[in-house]
Amino acid sequence: MALMARRNDSTTRDIDWLTVSIYIGLVLTGWLMIYAVGYRPGETELFDMGTRHGSQMVWILVSLGVGFVIMLFDGKMFQTFGYPIYIVALLLLLYVLIAGRVVAGSKSWFDLGFFRFQPSEVAKFATCLALASFLGSYNVNLQNFKSRAIALTIIFAPMIFILLQGDAGSALVFTSLLLVLYREGMPGILYVFGIIIFILSVLALMFDSSFPILLGIGLVSGGVLINSFRSNRPKLLYLIYGFALIFLYNYFPEYQIIFLGVSGAVFLVLFLMKLRDKRRQLALLVGFVFLVSSAYTFVVNYAFYQFLKPHQQDRLLVWLRPDKVDPLGALYNVTWSKRAIGSGGLTGKGFLDGNITKLNYVPEQATDFIFCAVGEEQGFIGAFAVIMLFLLLLLRILFIAERQRSKFTRIYAYGVASILFFHLLVNVGMTMGLLPVIGIPLPFISYGGSSLIAFTVLVAILLRLDSNRMLVFR
Amino acid sequence: MQDQFQGRKYIIQGIFVLSTILLLLKCIQLQLIDTSLREQASANVIQKINKYPSRGLVYDRNNKLLVNNKAIYDLMVTYDQVKDIDTIKFCKLLGITKETYIKKLNPNFSSVRYSKSKPFVFLKKISSEMYARFQESLYEFPGFYVELRNVRGYMYPNGAHVLGYIGEVNKKKLEKEPYYKRGDYIGVSGIELSYEKYLRGVRGVEYVLRDNLGRIVGSYEKGRRDTASVSGKDLISSLDIDLQVFGEKLLQNKRGGIVAIEPSSGEILAMVSMPSYNPNLLTIGRSRGDAYAELAGDTLKPLFNRAIGAQYPPGSIFKPVMALIGMQEKVLSPDRGIGCRGGYIYKTLRIGCHGHPMATSVSKAIQHSCNAYFCQVFRDVVDKNGFSRASVGLDTLVGHLHDFGLGVRLESDVQNELPGNVPTSAYYNKLYRKGAWTSPFIVSLGIGQGELLITPLQMANISAIIANRGYYYPPHLAKSFKGDTTKIPLALRTRHYTRIDTSHFRYVVDGMEDVVLAGTARVAQIDGIDICGKTGTAENPHGEDHSVFIAFAPKNNPKIAIAVFVENGGYGARYGGPIASLMVEKYLNGKISDRRKYLEERMVNADLNKSYRRK
Repeated sequence: MALMARRNDSTTRDIDWLTVSIYIGLVLTGWLMIYAVGYRPGETELFDMGTRHGSQMVWILVSLGVGFVIMLFDGKMFQTFGYPIYIVALLLLLYVLIAGRVVAGSKSWFDLGFFRFQPSEVAKFATCLALASFLGSYNVNLQNFKSRAIALTIIFAPMIFILLQGDAGSALVFTSLLLVLYREGMPGILYVFGIIIFILSVLALMFDSSFPILLGIGLVSGGVLINSFRSNRPKLLYLIYGFALIFLYNYFPEYQIIFLGVSGAVFLVLFLMKLRDKRRQLALLVGFVFLVSSAYTFVVNYAFYQFLKPHQQDRLLVWLRPDKVDPLGALYNVTWSKRAIGSGGLTGKGFLDGNITKLNYVPEQATDFIFCAVGEEQGFIGAFAVIMLFLLLLLRILFIAERQRSKFTRIYAYGVASILFFHLLVNVGMTMGLLPVIGIPLPFISYGGSSLIAFTVLVAILLRLDSNRMLVFR
Repeated sequence: MQDQFQGRKYIIQGIFVLSTILLLLKCIQLQLIDTSLREQASANVIQKINKYPSRGLVYDRNNKLLVNNKAIYDLMVTYDQVKDIDTIKFCKLLGITKETYIKKLNPNFSSVRYSKSKPFVFLKKISSEMYARFQESLYEFPGFYVELRNVRGYMYPNGAHVLGYIGEVNKKKLEKEPYYKRGDYIGVSGIELSYEKYLRGVRGVEYVLRDNLGRIVGSYEKGRRDTASVSGKDLISSLDIDLQVFGEKLLQNKRGGIVAIEPSSGEILAMVSMPSYNPNLLTIGRSRGDAYAELAGDTLKPLFNRAIGAQYPPGSIFKPVMALIGMQEKVLSPDRGIGCRGGYIYKTLRIGCHGHPMATSVSKAIQHSCNAYFCQVFRDVVDKNGFSRASVGLDTLVGHLHDFGLGVRLESDVQNELPGNVPTSAYYNKLYRKGAWTSPFIVSLGIGQGELLITPLQMANISAIIANRGYYYPPHLAKSFKGDTTKIPLALRTRHYTRIDTSHFRYVVDGMEDVVLAGTARVAQIDGIDICGKTGTAENPHGEDHSVFIAFAPKNNPKIAIAVFVENGGYGARYGGPIASLMVEKYLNGKISDRRKYLEERMVNADLNKSYRRK
């Protein structure tokens, strides 16, 4: 049943050609940008296999071939073999730890001579398949703890292996699958906690002293507490609290942004409390959270300097505290990446005329920082177009997900969208200094056969599953 | 199965859309709002390299090269591009210490002049030899590059004052003329200054692209914005360098000046100011500062161009002028004889004269340089309208003197020319009181003494006017531009007429001829050359009188007019006459005849420095 010889008209018709078009558009954009980055007047041949654009063209053809082959498979097969594929991926991840090749500090590559590939790329779609298989089965409900634990294990197992390889960027990609769990019923409050912890971590690193953060947490907690005891003399307490806030706002002008944030947070919490009328419980919770989060900010700072490697520290500092980083060292990439994008202006410098990207100012130009070439040569118009094309793809995948009658396909689609979304946000964000530099490629655009084929497989499987959407009831 | 969480798809869609908007907002900030990124980028990637044109060369009138260009190099650095440099090797190649390296690499970045992302001068004026060694290793020092600069080389150790020198443009000039950029070289004195606009050429600009290691990888926009530099025009100066060298030799160890002019064109053939210096001392280089300080501190003032800047009383060389004005004002006829009783005597006033035969005519008076004669002529001119209306007469005289280029600038192309001093009635009214002075008061003006001050250039110009029988061209140092039809400024090619009738000149010229043949300057005779001259002895209350001589030759169709001034040289015939005649002989014959070699030797060996130092 592996190969389905029966290629009838309905399969072709049922392929989502819009997704295919966007895919082709992004891949070609990527190829042009890779060509532009490597272009040297008078030296560069269009079809020169020794060049990056030459080999990328080969990978594009290979990817199209792989995509075509996937179309020949029976969609059912992916559901059936979801777990086996996942197990194989995990074994590959394990094996690469032993026999892998170290590239750029991480031991995450297999070298097959003609082709180097990262098993973490395989793990992406494998994990999506496994997650879909698991969540798609009838007895699974994310409201119960056991299901949650298994789902989280499916996500975090490959992540831990990849972290051990030293490839933190690829590992972080898997956190995006938490979005899939959310869609499938993971309690929202967990995400709120997650976001709070994330924000606290960022704040703890952004300020040298913990004082403003503690102050902020204290004020939020205070506001919530006052509200929960509003049976007696509520108005006076509100007044005192308000005055305290105004006083602090003026007394610590350097923390005004925090007070503004706090005020917003208080209103948000109060609004949420209107929705759920469990005040006393919540008051206790808030007090508890205050204590825990205060302690947490200290822990974050301690852990940051104790456990992170210097280059990891640098990456976070570049993002949050650029003033603390050597401008010719860790800050260099981001500075030049921003300059390249910024210098593009509205209309860009023109195709092949991006001098910053061409003159090697930005390292990893064709791979992780390919977006610079878009920004520099095509300007805001080009950057806008590429980002919008991605958004269109993401929304299309969500649309495809929601039109499925098969839960498996829906979950898999959400997985694909989440992974692509994470790559887009982090990659583009890091080139503009919005997010820390974690080395992950921009899907379909960045140079590299391994990632291009992996993303193609990811999307191709989705298209194959989607083309079967009418068959489910048969 | 019922999908109870279907509503969550909207939240996920919302997250996608909001995140995308966030990315786009950041794009807008970087690409459309924050222009500083664009500037930083181009400041690093696109580098503007000045292409300095080669400065025009200077030749003498016989096409002998006087000033050429030598290459020196400025080492430029862009702070942000300096990475991984072997400082020990670097410092060794440039002969600097590590402290200097650190200091030079870290100028005051808070100043607007310096930016870490823009190139600035690291080390100036690196010699070609040092550059040759350094250049081989330049690729090891990212962030550094070299700009070629042309500085001057002087082929002769002579003519320093005339040729002048170049230096870095000063702040005032920078503000006034936008062409110049900080660090440009500009003519500071002499011909370099006068003909700066012709000599400098036009600076070009090349925009190059640099890669991340600071290496030049190509031109920006295929060179569309580049401009080529245009070399400066080569100037053929009027100078006869052989004559100049000879003049400096004759005047060595003496203080004074020589100016020789071609009367028919106003071209300056030689302009000597002694003491002088080797112009190569002030060429741009690492040792120039010390050399300049030493020259500026010298009590003999070698930097001072006496030929145009020193103002002396002319003494008796003024008498021919006085005679011409007297004749023009019709108070003097050419055959008028005036008795001399050993001087000019008026009441208690007595201006001495030397023993000489009776001055029976203008010519004889000039030949014997009779003081009494010219005092009388002066008074006749000043008192022409009556004794009490001396101011009218004086101003008439002053008007003529201005025509002779006295008391005014000659508007030559020699920089910093001084006008001298010709006292007017207003001057005396201020000095004494209106009506309180009369012609006898100021009669010494008539014999070139008193408040009258003129420069050697003006003296030579008087000689040229007499040689031309009544007109002159502003004396100038430029003749033409080599291989170029550009003409020298029109003002220098314009005749200036005196209001003296040409007919009056023959009496003066005859007198000046007799000065040499049988008068006060027989030492100036040259076989085969009809030379006309006039001695002068400028009284000097501070010591020995100044020796002055003007001359032109040949008498008809003169080729050279000359003035010589030797400070503390005594009588005009002692140094002035011999030097002037030797110069004339050298110029007209190309050499000094054996018969007069002794004279040349005597002049060359005369050393008056002791008398200057004593004071």
